[in-house]
Amino acid sequence: MSSVVAAKERRIPGVEGVWVFVGADMFFFAVLFMSFMMERAKAVETFEASRLLLNQDIGGINTLILLTSSWLVVRGVQAAKVGDYDRVPRFLLGGLLFGVGFLVSKVFEYGAKFGAGITPVSNDFFMFYFALTGIHLLHVIGGSVVLLVFYLRARGNRINANNVAHLEAGGIYWHMVDLLWIMLFPLLYLLKAL
Amino acid sequence: MAAQPVPRQYAMWKLMAWSGPIFFIGFFVMWGLLARNFPPMAASTSAEGMWEHYKNLQMEILIGMSVCIVLGSCYMTFGAAVSRVMRRIEDGEEGMLSNIEMLGSTITCCPIIVACGLWLTGGLLVDSLAPETIQMLYMGAWMIIDLAYMVTSWQIIACSVCFMRDKREKKLVPNYVSWWGFVTVASFFPVSLIPFFKTGPFAFHGLFNFWVAFPTWYIWIVLMSIYVIKAVYRLEAEEKASESVSAGLRGASATA
Repeated sequence: MSSVVAAKERRIPGVEGVWVFVGADMFFFAVLFMSFMMERAKAVETFEASRLLLNQDIGGINTLILLTSSWLVVRGVQAAKVGDYDRVPRFLLGGLLFGVGFLVSKVFEYGAKFGAGITPVSNDFFMFYFALTGIHLLHVIGGSVVLLVFYLRARGNRINANNVAHLEAGGIYWHMVDLLWIMLFPLLYLLKAL
Repeated sequence: MAAQPVPRQYAMWKLMAWSGPIFFIGFFVMWGLLARNFPPMAASTSAEGMWEHYKNLQMEILIGMSVCIVLGSCYMTFGAAVSRVMRRIEDGEEGMLSNIEMLGSTITCCPIIVACGLWLTGGLLVDSLAPETIQMLYMGAWMIIDLAYMVTSWQIIACSVCFMRDKREKKLVPNYVSWWGFVTVASFFPVSLIPFFKTGPFAFHGLFNFWVAFPTWYIWIVLMSIYVIKAVYRLEAEEKASESVSAGLRGASATA
């Protein structure tokens, strides 16, 4: 007796192109991280003294905010994949609100820095701090817009089995934004001088 | 008498598409190699150092920049060819994206040509200008060519969105090129930081704002050139095949 086992269809999550974007974007950040470490090695004391001026609590809260947001987006994508479309908008809205929460938190953090007279030209550490977190913030803004679009589409019952890969691609982008922060947080806020 | 359809000017279309490679090869050689912009002189160089640079490379800069001012126009003609391909995907001449592409590529020429003109002026008048004036010309040209990136970004976004909407089974421009377009746009944003830094990755000669942002754009132009040239030849072949079929059907119905 012969048995035929249907091979499970393997596919790349999301749409293929999003991985080109994610790969290149991560490469850009890798270049910046490498650049940061090279400059840090030249002025360890300045970088350490400047690092201590950052608010680690806010950094930690921001990490939790983005992780929670990512988790909600995962739940939304999972709901869409199993056809539970009614729950998708709720999860996406939750993810979006946490993304907006991150933006608000950053506004306060930047405001405190500027209030204390710290700007991107204060020293090389703060040049990197504002540039890296600023570029990341642009990614968060872009991701929030993406989540808003998918939320509106989900509310209008325009997410279905044919286009769920697009939602998955949006989720992949959002997780990349999360992952970048998870690397930025220790690099800027926690990395101690030996 | 019914009006005859005007035959498409494929020869001209192909010529315009081939101006893409003329642009990117010409700029690489004349701007990059001959005028020594690989790597560019650092933003932190003193005014006297910049004057020395222009004095030592006067002839190379004069030739390189003169040619680049002429070649800059090829970005516009190439953009026209890309725009025509995009019209086949979207709503004909009414298509918004193909128009943005055309405008974006045309306006992108302006900062390129103006910047090359300023570098050329520095080379031309180096003997009669003070070092600070040479510095102003050199830095000013970089600010213009770099900070106008958003015009080019709109052009690239329009291309990416349009080519991703292509419903053909085998798209005229593959998706990965469109996504690379988004990557290119993303790499442009840190360029906004160049006025604030003379050293480090965000200076105009820096690791990110030169060695990442420029090659990323360059790769996009190369990829887009390859696929747009192929697309024009493919569209011509498809049209010829369609005409042959129509002629065959007309012949068959006349015989019947």
